[in-house]
Amino acid sequence: MNNQEPLLRVEHLCQYFKAGNFVTKAVDDVSFDIRKGEVFGLVGESGCGKTTTGRSIIKLYNITSGNIYFKGVRIAAGIQSYKDELKATKDPVRIAELKAQIRAARNEQKNCDKEYSAKRRSELKSEYEPKIAAAVGEEKARMEAQYKDALRKARRTRLVTQIQMIFQDPIASLDPRMTVREIISEGLVIQGERDKKVIDEKVYEMLELVGLVREHASRYPHEFSGGQRQRIGVARSIIMNPELIIADEPVSALDVSVQAQVINLLNELRERFGLTILFIAHDLSVVKYFSDRIGVMYYGKMVELADSDELFAHPLHPYTRSLLSAIPLPDPVYERQRRRITYNPLAEHDYTVDQPSFREVRPGHFVQCNEAEYQKIMTEISSK
Amino acid sequence: MENKLHVQDLRISFRTGNGKVQAVRGIDFDLARGETLAIVGESGSGKSVTSKAILGILAGNSIVESGEIIYDGQDLLKISEEDFHKIRGDKIAMIFQDPMSSLNPIVRIGRQLTEAMLLKGRIRQRESRRSFRTYLKSLGDRMAASAANNEERTRAAVSCRKFQQFEKKHTELESAYNTAHEGATEALDDIGIIAFELEKNTVAKGAADRIKDIARRCRESLNKYVVDPDQYKSEVLQNASALEENFRKKDYTAALGNLYRLRDRMAEGAGRPKPNFFRMGYYMTFSDKPLPEMPLEELNDFLLDYLEKDFMKVFLSDAQRAVTYSAEQCYERIRRAVRELEAARPVYAAEQLDKKQCTDTWKKLRMTVKETVDPLAVSKDSLVYTFSPSMKSELDKYFHGAKANVGILRKYEREKRKYDAIVAKGGKPDWELADAAVTDLELIKANLSHIIDRLAEHYQKVLDAADSRDYHAETIGAIDYLMQNASGIVDRVTPRIARHRAIRLMEEVGISEPHKRFRQYPFEFSGGMRQRIVIAIALAANPDILICDEPTTALDVTIQSQILELINKLKTERRLSVIFITHDLGVVANMADRVAVMYAGKIVEYGTCEDIFYHAAHPYTWALLSSMPDLDTNEKLTAIPGTPPNMIYPPKGDAFAPRNQYAMQIDFERQPPMFRISDTHYAATWLLHPDAPKVDPPKAVMDRIARMNQRREAKLEKGTFSQAGRDKNE
Repeated sequence: MNNQEPLLRVEHLCQYFKAGNFVTKAVDDVSFDIRKGEVFGLVGESGCGKTTTGRSIIKLYNITSGNIYFKGVRIAAGIQSYKDELKATKDPVRIAELKAQIRAARNEQKNCDKEYSAKRRSELKSEYEPKIAAAVGEEKARMEAQYKDALRKARRTRLVTQIQMIFQDPIASLDPRMTVREIISEGLVIQGERDKKVIDEKVYEMLELVGLVREHASRYPHEFSGGQRQRIGVARSIIMNPELIIADEPVSALDVSVQAQVINLLNELRERFGLTILFIAHDLSVVKYFSDRIGVMYYGKMVELADSDELFAHPLHPYTRSLLSAIPLPDPVYERQRRRITYNPLAEHDYTVDQPSFREVRPGHFVQCNEAEYQKIMTEISSK
Repeated sequence: MENKLHVQDLRISFRTGNGKVQAVRGIDFDLARGETLAIVGESGSGKSVTSKAILGILAGNSIVESGEIIYDGQDLLKISEEDFHKIRGDKIAMIFQDPMSSLNPIVRIGRQLTEAMLLKGRIRQRESRRSFRTYLKSLGDRMAASAANNEERTRAAVSCRKFQQFEKKHTELESAYNTAHEGATEALDDIGIIAFELEKNTVAKGAADRIKDIARRCRESLNKYVVDPDQYKSEVLQNASALEENFRKKDYTAALGNLYRLRDRMAEGAGRPKPNFFRMGYYMTFSDKPLPEMPLEELNDFLLDYLEKDFMKVFLSDAQRAVTYSAEQCYERIRRAVRELEAARPVYAAEQLDKKQCTDTWKKLRMTVKETVDPLAVSKDSLVYTFSPSMKSELDKYFHGAKANVGILRKYEREKRKYDAIVAKGGKPDWELADAAVTDLELIKANLSHIIDRLAEHYQKVLDAADSRDYHAETIGAIDYLMQNASGIVDRVTPRIARHRAIRLMEEVGISEPHKRFRQYPFEFSGGMRQRIVIAIALAANPDILICDEPTTALDVTIQSQILELINKLKTERRLSVIFITHDLGVVANMADRVAVMYAGKIVEYGTCEDIFYHAAHPYTWALLSSMPDLDTNEKLTAIPGTPPNMIYPPKGDAFAPRNQYAMQIDFERQPPMFRISDTHYAATWLLHPDAPKVDPPKAVMDRIARMNQRREAKLEKGTFSQAGRDKNE
């Protein structure tokens, strides 16, 4: 498989929240790709919009503007930018174009799951029909039943179920009134799985996969420790056979020793199933350890994006520098010398004349900067 | 270094439905002044329980089984709730983990900040007054008693009376100054805000009241040492009334002019240095001449000269005589107390303790030990104060236990007979016989003799150090103590002053626009800001000891870094002792002077920060170090397998043994003692026993140490690296 193929593409994603007349720009024009099989880390301080980005991708919100492509299919599209342009323009040709685009966006946002399930159904049809035609007698009846079952499931399939989420707080994210079996199998049941045996088998398989035992299936979440609960959360997301997992601060609420267990587990699963992970966290040492590429967010904007080694070795945006200088390390001598660099956007940048944009300064290394800063960074790079 | 807190053999359990959970199982540590002790461990290792015990806020189902926490001459485990009110928040403060749940959501930030100041303010004033009077009285008594002749005796009496007289003048002057100075600074702050609003022409509701307030405060600020009334009285008064008038007429330009003039005046007044009222008080009371006109510094020197010549030299020598006399008397009493302690020892070592004899001896000892306290010593001697309450509580336990044991044993025998009968019949009971919960009388006896031994040892130390005492320094300390308390008497905390101080405190912890923020509710703050408020509340009462229970676990790196810097800054500024509880080793490396690693209710390793990070010796510390990634980690993380033990049934041997890949047979059988590695570094693991096989730490830890050394060497070679970083920052 081509490793460069983007599994998820986020284009100019904006997510605004309205509170009365005041608009909060939680995510403002963020673009990035996630390639198949990689771990993409998203870091930034709390309130910078990293969780909102994750939630927008899984369609927990209707995005304000921008596009999100998953496996080449546009799963979410915002229309605000088109609407704005519509208001500004007077050109009739352009107006017609924009209107068509808005219709298309609305349509795709609404129907991408339907289309996916129709596609899946036609695949099934082409797979089973020759088989059924070839089979005779009892075999034929069995085949027909199987086909019917598969069709029923396919009707309920949605593209977005291939993106799963692991939540931050393992205590709050599990329903206290459901057993572990019910929690883990819930997704399967919604997808139309009715066979108890199949469900049990799958649940046991998942439990063993995440390092728990079969007996745990009939217990309730409160009987588990924090690390075990997070494992249940992982099992719940893995059972749907996802291609992309959005891990929203999965280890922030855990003890150090347990943290290591969960990270090791995610690493194993990733190697085994070739999972792609969007890893949202604020602990930079963990992100550095776990991710292939890292995006740094600040106040709803992506300010820097690079390979993780590259980012830590040559941070270019002043905010990234300040963030890196704040990481505490278990080394007392180093710690006593460490000086935190403060970041003050008003003092660092002058964006009154020239607005910044997201530019590539090195292969794979993007920085949010304007023309003057871009020149400065380029001379800095070439002088090294 | 001065020891602030001393915890010894602390054992705490919790009663639960399933049995007794042993949360803390015998820990000892000291905390010096201005030092940070980090307590590291997984959740459930008993670190929070320890801190809560120090603060006296253990849950209702807790049992303190043994141990003592000694602070300022008191055992915090044995004092009453009323006494604890004086310590909690005032002397020992705590920053909690979750800033959301530790603030009251329906009370404004300002109220929450000033609450403690207002509550404590009056109590402090009262206490200052009391300690000033008693101390001066005992000093006078000792002076008189140590006088060689009649003349000296009368001189002592006279100088004590003089001291009291001019102290009164001193407090009067200082009180007036305090009011004026607070008025000036507050007026200055408020003028800034309202002038801003007027310039922008956005006058809020209630501005008229604020203008009135400013005018009033400006009038208050007229004091010789703030805004000189001789020079500026008419100007300030005119401007203040003109301001009110103009504002009423809505003539804002004129009002602004008045405000600016007042602001200049107030800024000058608030910026002036504080004169030494102690000296001035003396001069104004006993000199017939008026105060000479000269600049403040010269005036201070002049007053000092006058005070020295006229009074202080003689007073100091008298006081020193009194201090020496008092100390010598104390040594005499200590010698007697040592003899009595020796005599009392057999009483408490008898096979069966006799209640009457024990109590009588205890009463006698109590008197003798109490007498050994030097009333002129400024710092308190903790062991002497805790002796009799500790003895009493142990004795009570003994006699109560001795009585109760009989009944418990009888009941146990009955149950056992029943059980045996069932077994003899061939039945298999599905329950097990619980052990009889008898009080261990021998242990109590051992405790009693230990308390006596310790006091005797302590006395011996005091006697040995007798020759090297510096009486002169002590006398100066005593006078300082008197002066401090005198200032404390006039240090009145009104709601207005509290508000002002709270705002200054908010500035100190880095909250912008404190005036606006003061009136907001907790939900209007972000996580980091909320935690700053919690820190400000903790610091409001000026504590000695600050306990931080995972203060940054819920915050992200940048905010965490800011909060840690803030705590470090405050620590050095105020010489706070900090107990820092966390499970993040990176944070520990940043904060700690010393580190205690806790596991299953015990301290397993104890040492300076360097000891723990570069020369860790306990497998648990290794495991902790290797389970967290740093920026250079690439290999698989070594997680600690398994879970912490169930503390209802604590394991017999080393609690960490089942999860320890280096465990030996003996680890499962016997608890390891604390092995000494160096003077500062101790660890409880059998690996340090001379007979144990030599084991290297895991590869991850070794690699990390190697990396750290490399980094350090690289830095040393560069030399200027950290310097450059600092310049950039500034």
